[in-house]
Amino acid sequence: MSLAFDRPILELKDVSFSYLRDKKIIDNISFSVGNGEFIGLLGANGSGKSTMLKLSSGILRPSTGEIKLWDKDVLSYPNKDRAKLLCYLPQLLDINVPFKVKELVGMGLYPYDIPPHITVDEALEAVGLSEKPDSYITNLSSGERRRVFIAMTLVQGAGILLLDEPFANLDIRYQIELLKLLKELKDKKGIAIIMALHDINIALKFEKVMLIKEGRILGTGSPDAILTREMLKDAFDVGIEVVRREYGEAYISYENNF
Amino acid sequence: MKRIANRRGYSIFAYHILSLLLSLVTCHLSLVTSIYAETPARIISLAPSMTEILFALGLEERIVAVTSFCDYPEEAKKKPKIGGMSNPSLEAVVSLKPDIVLMTTDGNPKEFEERLRSLRIKTYVFKQRRLSELPQGIREVGSVLGVKDKADLLANEIETTINKLKTQNSKLKTQKKKVLFIVWPEPLIVAGPGTAIDDAMNLLGYENIASKAKTTYPKYSIEEVIHQSPDVIFIGKGHVNMKEVSNSILKRIAKVPAVKNGAVFYVSDNLYRLGPRVIKGIEEMAECLK
Amino acid sequence: MSKIKITVLMLVAIIIFLSALFIGPRIINPFRMGDMEKEILFSIRFPRVVVAILVGMALGASGAILQGVLRNPLADPYILGISSGASLSAAFALLSGIYSFGRFTIPLTAFLGASAVSVLVGVFGWRRGGLWPERLLLAGVGLSFLFHSVLMLLMSISTDEGLRRAVLWIFGDLSMADWSLIPYGLVFIVSGLIISVSRSKALNALILGDEFAHSLGFSIHKERFMLFISMALMTGASVSLGGTIGFIGLLIPHIMRFVAGADSRVLIPLSAIGGGAFLCLADLIGKSIMTPMEIPSGIITAIIGSPYFLYLLRRKDVLSI
Repeated sequence: MSLAFDRPILELKDVSFSYLRDKKIIDNISFSVGNGEFIGLLGANGSGKSTMLKLSSGILRPSTGEIKLWDKDVLSYPNKDRAKLLCYLPQLLDINVPFKVKELVGMGLYPYDIPPHITVDEALEAVGLSEKPDSYITNLSSGERRRVFIAMTLVQGAGILLLDEPFANLDIRYQIELLKLLKELKDKKGIAIIMALHDINIALKFEKVMLIKEGRILGTGSPDAILTREMLKDAFDVGIEVVRREYGEAYISYENNF
Repeated sequence: MKRIANRRGYSIFAYHILSLLLSLVTCHLSLVTSIYAETPARIISLAPSMTEILFALGLEERIVAVTSFCDYPEEAKKKPKIGGMSNPSLEAVVSLKPDIVLMTTDGNPKEFEERLRSLRIKTYVFKQRRLSELPQGIREVGSVLGVKDKADLLANEIETTINKLKTQNSKLKTQKKKVLFIVWPEPLIVAGPGTAIDDAMNLLGYENIASKAKTTYPKYSIEEVIHQSPDVIFIGKGHVNMKEVSNSILKRIAKVPAVKNGAVFYVSDNLYRLGPRVIKGIEEMAECLK
Repeated sequence: MSKIKITVLMLVAIIIFLSALFIGPRIINPFRMGDMEKEILFSIRFPRVVVAILVGMALGASGAILQGVLRNPLADPYILGISSGASLSAAFALLSGIYSFGRFTIPLTAFLGASAVSVLVGVFGWRRGGLWPERLLLAGVGLSFLFHSVLMLLMSISTDEGLRRAVLWIFGDLSMADWSLIPYGLVFIVSGLIISVSRSKALNALILGDEFAHSLGFSIHKERFMLFISMALMTGASVSLGGTIGFIGLLIPHIMRFVAGADSRVLIPLSAIGGGAFLCLADLIGKSIMTPMEIPSGIITAIIGSPYFLYLLRRKDVLSI
């Protein structure tokens, strides 16, 4: 296993992307993700967080550069094989069809012929929805919906999760619970997780953050090293600072912006 | 579309009121004579049956326009057209300055007649729909158009034929044979009650199996045709090759006596229109039934 | 719970099927049949019931597919203009009196019209290597308007006799059903059903959105294309067998979602069964209620369908939006 640990699961090499010819949304990015890594992507609106995740998932094709999943071009995988290795959860979950919770979670098994990992019940247990397998998704709160889809990704059992703003629409309580759940996953199963974020307070809980601006990486590293006043000013164009207190607690100060 | 037509209608209406007022002032007398003139000189027919009656009454010269469906007699096709029966062009009618417009309750919209009257155009509506009412209808048209004698002659001819058949067949006390008249085979549309065809069958002493339907030309159940097993079937010739089109329906009702015994007749469209040709149509049917 | 519902549904479908065979305008006692009854049962009623079931199945299943592919609860098989294209070409044949293929003329022209429009909608909906729901929908609506207006033009200049026939055909007419067309319809409709049921997992994923479908390991463009083909096959075949019959494609999938849930693996077959049973019932009513006259089935489906649909609309749990 230690060998696999050193090998990057996902690797982006000089990747650029633009929808139209004029403006690059992703501009020559390179980075790699190893086993069990837990990375928060931070950046202002339109900085290219979502695009980076979509490129990594293979749903978008890079204009130049290469994206490798386990040393092979992500676009070269047959769809089902890729789905077993990599899972992408979009930000918008606008489902208006009354699927049942267990039906939705069960869709995580679609890439498989033989159910491999955990069962639907176990996944629902893990996200705290074991009481509601027969509820309709359309009757759930947005927090519950988010957890249903997390359960679906658990069932899908990929080694790397790409989550686009998983904390959006979540109450603070569920934000904490979801973060705990994801960290547990990472620790127990060695799953690598990359997620786009917009809340810097949550990013402070990560081991590794990546700050992006206009499709370029400003820096990657621990929150302490990256979320400095200068870097944040550069990324978000406002003067804010991380305030550290005793016992390692930290929070964002809005200073005199109001 | 409708609103534009209305607006245009109003401006024509205004123009006509204006011209009416003018004529009232200038020559009061000539106006009176033109309204009560004995024989209208410019006639427009809005129905094929009316066109046929006009031709039979020898009024060919006075017809200024007909509908695009008026195809009988042959000369009718050469007359100027003012559109269809249900959608004639108001402008075309008005611009031809008719003395009278002939319409029927069977196919012409009532609103159109009202529009014409509101534009001070004289109309005559032919309300008769049954065979027995036809002679009376022709007499009325004749007196309105000032050709009373000719109309009487034509009406009497039709009446004598009808009466002759009536007395002939009232003597027949045997059980009536069952007949079906197919207007179109796919889907099956037949001649129902209240049509000249239904009347003609009764006159000839036969029973129309579709006479219990609720409309004049009902879409008829094939199962019912088999149940009621007609002895004779007529198929009206349309614009297409009816023999070919009716092939499959005849196959499907092959066990009905009419088909089994070869009593299926293709007849012309004489009886489709309540006009002077009905006698020919009845005679044609009678010929087949002999 | 839903298993009980499905069993009840199947029983209802079988009862409707048998009533359509033996009740009709006149009741046939299956144990005491004369020659005439046998004739009516086997060469008139049986094929007609089969055609009603096939057409209803095709419309119900196509509706379930299209509501999923377009991610739009208001979609029905006719929204893409396939039926208006079929109507236009059939009306053209009916009004002009072209009759070169005998009794196959109208079904054939309708099917050609439907196929031509399917291709056209596909071409307009195609971009960057695949079909896009919004483009399909807009192209379909645009083409529908075009064909409807040309149809209106044709009808307004046609004879009253031809007009009546065209109107009867457009409202859906099953009275000419016989065994000769059934094998062709069966081939198209069954292959459409097989394709769509085999793609039903992909349809579930596509309902969640393209990104989900991709993440769950489906090639979105390929799956959407296959589903579109299956829908086009079934809709085209149904229109050429029975004319345009409204409301089944819209209504039945919603009712079935209410009965058995939204999972396409169940929803597609159930919508097919429900659609078949419903059209069978509507046709039974249409031919029995005013004997010996017949009312086109399309009118009956709309008359029963619309009030029930409005009733369902008031129940919040059925339509989730």
